[in-house]
Amino acid sequence: MRRAFAYLGASLAFVYAVAPVYWLLTISLKREVDQFAWPPKWFVFAPTFQHYLDAFASGSFSRFFANSVVVATVSTLTALALGVPAAYGLARFVWPKEWAQGLSFWVLSTRMLPPIVTIVPLFLMLRELRLLNSLAALVVVYTAFNLPFVIWMMRGFFAEVPKELEEAAMLDGESRMGALWRIVLPIVRPGLAATAVFCLIVGWNEFLFALILSQTESAMTLPVGIASRVTQYEIKWGAMSAAGVVAMLPVLVFASAVQKHLVRGLSLGAVKG
Amino acid sequence: MTGRIAAFRADLASARGIPWVAPAIGLLAALSIYPLVFSVKVSLTAQAGGFSFEHYIRLLTDKFFLISVWQTALYSFFALSIEFLLGLSLALLVDSLARGRAIFRAGLLVPMLLPPVVAAVAWRLIYNPQFGVLNGMLRMAGFDTSHLTWTSGEGAAMFSVILVDIWEWTPFLFLLLSAGLQAIPQEPIEAARIDGASRWQILWDVILPLLKPTIALALLLRAMDLMRIFDQIFILTQGGPGFATETVSLYIYRTAFRFYNFGYAAAMSFVGLALTTVFARGLLRFMRVQ
Repeated sequence: MRRAFAYLGASLAFVYAVAPVYWLLTISLKREVDQFAWPPKWFVFAPTFQHYLDAFASGSFSRFFANSVVVATVSTLTALALGVPAAYGLARFVWPKEWAQGLSFWVLSTRMLPPIVTIVPLFLMLRELRLLNSLAALVVVYTAFNLPFVIWMMRGFFAEVPKELEEAAMLDGESRMGALWRIVLPIVRPGLAATAVFCLIVGWNEFLFALILSQTESAMTLPVGIASRVTQYEIKWGAMSAAGVVAMLPVLVFASAVQKHLVRGLSLGAVKG
Repeated sequence: MTGRIAAFRADLASARGIPWVAPAIGLLAALSIYPLVFSVKVSLTAQAGGFSFEHYIRLLTDKFFLISVWQTALYSFFALSIEFLLGLSLALLVDSLARGRAIFRAGLLVPMLLPPVVAAVAWRLIYNPQFGVLNGMLRMAGFDTSHLTWTSGEGAAMFSVILVDIWEWTPFLFLLLSAGLQAIPQEPIEAARIDGASRWQILWDVILPLLKPTIALALLLRAMDLMRIFDQIFILTQGGPGFATETVSLYIYRTAFRFYNFGYAAAMSFVGLALTTVFARGLLRFMRVQ
């Protein structure tokens, strides 16, 4: 009896969590006459891909999509390129005790800063540099956004690799860099992949900076593009939902790939600042 | 060969780590310390130019700023307490299941992983007074929904946006508490059971104390996100109707990017930051964890 109640409770929570997403998906696939049909067509309706074509083939959403892809991937790569060496440096070298701690906590504190505090000066600085409404500005900002996260995640992974392993590789004739590249990096590769995926999700989901720093159609990312349509034409629910579905699919796929690291990642502020 | 290792060890023990971290630290400093200093200067520059405390003085008497602080506190308090209780119950519930834990866990995490914008769009489809599925279902159940305006009604808007927050972020507390539950040792729980403790006693006297560090971390992280809440409210109500769901972040956004008063926005952002810090310290002290 108690067990039945437990399953009932868990199932209700499950349905409640997934239902709004399911509803969004069905609206994106329904013809307009079915979208507001009453009683609602929960499961059975004639599906159409018209809204996806409207949003992406004739609308500007393909542009926003491409922008999001570029911004998320490039900022992830630069954050890794800068953050991985820093993490290795912090984990491997012997630092004066207060230094390593102080540095690490300062790094983390920049991540904990509310975005609204940095957005005003960043906007003014980027305006001065004439970098507003460019993808480059977003790449730089997201790189800085993800750096603390990369450093903290990777520092943990590097610390788990014994330094004797590197020494053994050097005994076998590897150079210093060779040992790092061919021995240490392959060991931390799963962690590296998870870190990269978290950075991709952050760059893909981020809204506030994108809203303020890129306001022209040519530099808009997918979330901002969707937001601008929500407030403009509330009525085009099909296209809106289609864009929403396309925006969420990559994240769900990515997230399922890093399930194992989700707790650590979230504790360090991944997914959303 | 051994010479190379000796060199490696000497290298690690010296200050040669600096070049490894310098580029990252440099970029972070350039994009956090410099803007902060710059922002302090902006907040201390009068609208007409010249050094002045006018922005800080103004916010003490700005009714709208005070309302937005109050509303942010209200929003955070209700969202945090309900999300915590729900998240903890769900974590205990799913933990007690014999089968299907992985599926339940995966499904329960979905709301949190979506782009916040998409989550908000989904809820607009649900809340819309005429076409939304929520009022539709209520009509079907025989209720009169003409006065149920959800996000577009002055009175119900705050309630409605909090409801979305609970939907979206209970998974966060669920996930962290769930992980915490799996990590606590089982022996004390077994021992208490053998000693004849009831389920409630076990939960209250054994599990919760063991879970305390996780609870503190989860509450702290969520509280800090709540106090800067922006995305969902921006999409759902833009702070309206009127001022009904305006939070500090939205008010700062409006001040800076609608009214172009950057000095005042910067001043408010520092006061908001100070309030957040004080609150975080208070929470940690209250939980008596370090």
